[in-house]
Amino acid sequence: MKRIILPLIAIFFVGIVYAQQEDKPSKTQFMIRGYGSAGFQSLNDEGEKESSFNSGTFAPIILFKFSDKFMFETELEFAYENGELETALEYANVMYSLNDYMTIRAGKFLLPFGTFMERLHPSWINKLSSVPLGFGHDGIVPSSGVGVELRGAFDVYGSKFNYALYSTNGPKLNDGSMEPDEAGILHFDNYEDNNKNKSLGGRLGYLPFTDSSVELGFSFLNSKVGNSDSDYENVGAKLIAYDFTFIKKINPLGGIIDIRAQYNQSIVDDANYYEPDGLGGSEEYTFNNKSDSFYAQLSYKPTTSSSNFIKNLEFVGRYSELNTPEGAEWETNQNQTAFGINYWLSWRSAIKVNYQITDGTGGHGGGLIDKKQFTIQWAFGI
Amino acid sequence: MGIWYIIKKLKIMKTILTVIAIGLIGIVAISCSPERAALVEGKSGVQLWGETCMRCHSTPSPADFNDTDWSTIEMHMRVRANLTADESKKIFDFIKSAN
Repeated sequence: MKRIILPLIAIFFVGIVYAQQEDKPSKTQFMIRGYGSAGFQSLNDEGEKESSFNSGTFAPIILFKFSDKFMFETELEFAYENGELETALEYANVMYSLNDYMTIRAGKFLLPFGTFMERLHPSWINKLSSVPLGFGHDGIVPSSGVGVELRGAFDVYGSKFNYALYSTNGPKLNDGSMEPDEAGILHFDNYEDNNKNKSLGGRLGYLPFTDSSVELGFSFLNSKVGNSDSDYENVGAKLIAYDFTFIKKINPLGGIIDIRAQYNQSIVDDANYYEPDGLGGSEEYTFNNKSDSFYAQLSYKPTTSSSNFIKNLEFVGRYSELNTPEGAEWETNQNQTAFGINYWLSWRSAIKVNYQITDGTGGHGGGLIDKKQFTIQWAFGI
Repeated sequence: MGIWYIIKKLKIMKTILTVIAIGLIGIVAISCSPERAALVEGKSGVQLWGETCMRCHSTPSPADFNDTDWSTIEMHMRVRANLTADESKKIFDFIKSAN
C-alpha cells in the first residue's frame, strides 16, 4: 500500500508546486512529461486462448532544470498487472554539462547498450506494442544501471561521433541457490552492488553522413557478477552489442524508410551450479554460459501521399531471435516475427494494430513455444 | 580435424573482420572532408529539426510547448539523443522561433 500512496503523494505535491509557478520564466524550470498506453490483447498460447482489454502503463517523466548546465530527471512507471498497481523507477539521475562535448550523469540511468532500450522503448516511440526478443523481462540486454556516466557528441569533418562511458554496480549472477531454475542468469537492476567490483561499459556511435541518416554503434559492458565471499566471486561477464540505424525520406518511394537492427551477446565465465535431485541432495552441473539475441525492423511511412489518411499510416515488420545456453535450466531458442499497421493521430500519439508469432523451444515452461498474439495499442506521449 | 576446423574458422573470422575494418576506414575517409564539414556547419535549424528528431521519433510540433518548456526539453534531449551542442542550439532556436 505504501508503494502506491507514496508516489501519489509525491505527484500531488509536485502538482501543487507546478500550479504555483508564475508565467514569468525562472532560472529553475520544472516540467512533467511522459507517456502512456492502453489497449487490447488476444493471445493463443499453444491452443490456449485468452483475450483482454488492458489498462496499459503510465510513465511520468519529471524534469528539473536548475541552470543551463545542471538538470535532474526521473521517470516512474505505473502499470496495473495481476490485480495490483505495479510501480517502478525507470531512471533518476542528476546531470551536469561540463562543456560542449562532455556531460556527466550520476544516479540510475538508461544504459546506452545498443539503441533500443535507451532511445526506442517508450510506447509512443516503439513502432510495435512489444519489445524484441532478448529485451525486457527474461532478456539478456541490460536496460538501466546505477552509477556514473560521461557522454557527449562531436563533429569531425562532416561526420558525427557520440560516446558514452560508464561505471555501474553491474549485473548480478543468479547462482541458483534460491532459484535453481535460473542458475547462471544475469540480473541487471542492482541498486546495491553484490561485490566490490564495478562494471565498466560504454558505447561509441558513428554517423558517417551529413544528414544523420545512418548510425553504426558498438557497445560493451564488462563486470564481475558473482557475490562477494562466495564460490562465484571471480565469475565475470562480458556483454557486447552492435547496432545499426538507417532512416531517410526517400522521394521515389514516397515516404520515410526506417531500418533498425541490433545484435547482443552475453558471455559469462564458466561456473558450477547445483540442481536439486528430488531426494534432498543436489547434482553439480555446468554449461557454456553464452547467450545472444538479434532484431531487425523495417518500417515505411508514406508521408508524401496526397491523402491525409494514408500519410498518417505506417507499416512495420520486425524479426527477432533469442538463444540462451544449451544445458542451462533456462535454455531456449526462440524466434519472433511481428507485423504492424500504425495510424498516427499526431506526432506523439499512435494507434497500433499488431500481429506477432513466436516459435521455438525451451524457456521456463520447457518444450515447444508456439504463441500467436494480436494487439491493439493506443500509445501517447505527453 | 578439430585443429583444421578451428584454423579454418579463425581464417574466415579474420577475413570478415579485415573486410569490416577496411570498409569502416573507407567510410570514415570518404565521409570526413572540409567540404562536408562546411555543409554540416551551414545547416539551418529547420533542416536539422527535420533530419535529427526522426532518428528516434516523429518531428515534434513547435506549438506544443512554450519557450520555457522547450529550454527544459532541449537539455533532456541533447543528452538522451546525443545531439552535438551546435545541433541542439540550432534545432531549439528554430522551434522557439516557430511556436
